[in-house]
Amino acid sequence: MSEFQGCQLPEDLFYDLDYVWVRPEGEGIFTIGVTDPAQTMSGRLQKARIKKVGTQLAAGRHVATLESGKWAGGVPVPFAGEVIERNEALLEDPHLINIDPYGDAWIAKLRAEDPEHALDSVHTGPEAIEALQAWIKRYDVQCMRCSD
Amino acid sequence: MTKDIGTIMQQDHERLDQILTNTARAVSEQHWVEAAQLLETFRHGIVDGHMVVEESLLFPAFEHWEGGEEHPLTELLRKGHKDLRVFFTEMAEAIENQDAEEFTDLLSTVQTILQQHDAKEEAELYPHLAEALPDHGVEAIQQLHLLQEEKA
Repeated sequence: MSEFQGCQLPEDLFYDLDYVWVRPEGEGIFTIGVTDPAQTMSGRLQKARIKKVGTQLAAGRHVATLESGKWAGGVPVPFAGEVIERNEALLEDPHLINIDPYGDAWIAKLRAEDPEHALDSVHTGPEAIEALQAWIKRYDVQCMRCSD
Repeated sequence: MTKDIGTIMQQDHERLDQILTNTARAVSEQHWVEAAQLLETFRHGIVDGHMVVEESLLFPAFEHWEGGEEHPLTELLRKGHKDLRVFFTEMAEAIENQDAEEFTDLLSTVQTILQQHDAKEEAELYPHLAEALPDHGVEAIQQLHLLQEEKA
């Protein structure tokens, strides 16, 4: 696990180099969530809306919207696909994203329309970590993860 | 007395907010054709007018005035524009599907984004424009008026 200005950046995930991480689960299924620096920048999240299971999304569309007292934004999907599962716990307690953005607070699982090319627009490995570090520096983010 | 570019851009925010409020009213009354027309007027005004002037004239002038090509403020504002464009498409689809619940959810998020985005522009960008723009904003004002007059 790489860490920069307190922000955790797992090296095995894929990133859109902005807010979103993607984890391939096999058989064309991908889990999506938001990064540690993104949750820090958002502030304490108070509201999460996640698209219903069965929703078809084009690449770039929002699978979820998140709101804190000071921020609101969408969680775009980097590939076209169908929502096959959503994290119901976040609908009750969006603040979980501030606590465990890469674990319990995953947002949704999608079945990609074209699994072979689902990761074409996202990045992983040292190149991704370097770009995310530049993102953290650009927006002057110092990560803090809440414990409750 | 002629209004400065910052005041004109701020007034454009207020004008666009009002059109979005009218769109929400039309949705709540299930006047779907009117809602679609109002949303398109709003989308045209903000995407094809306001954002074009900002991205083509105001942001580059501010970045140049600040001494570099990249600036965290304009980078954040450009990202905000990109996100908003997606939301506007999703709102249009909600109206097309006559889905008031989906539209209202999206509206809540978009209004929060716009409130924060506009406040940032009005506090951190607009006050410097008259100084940052070589013509004090004359071209930007003309361009905004021209784009506002164009039909969606």
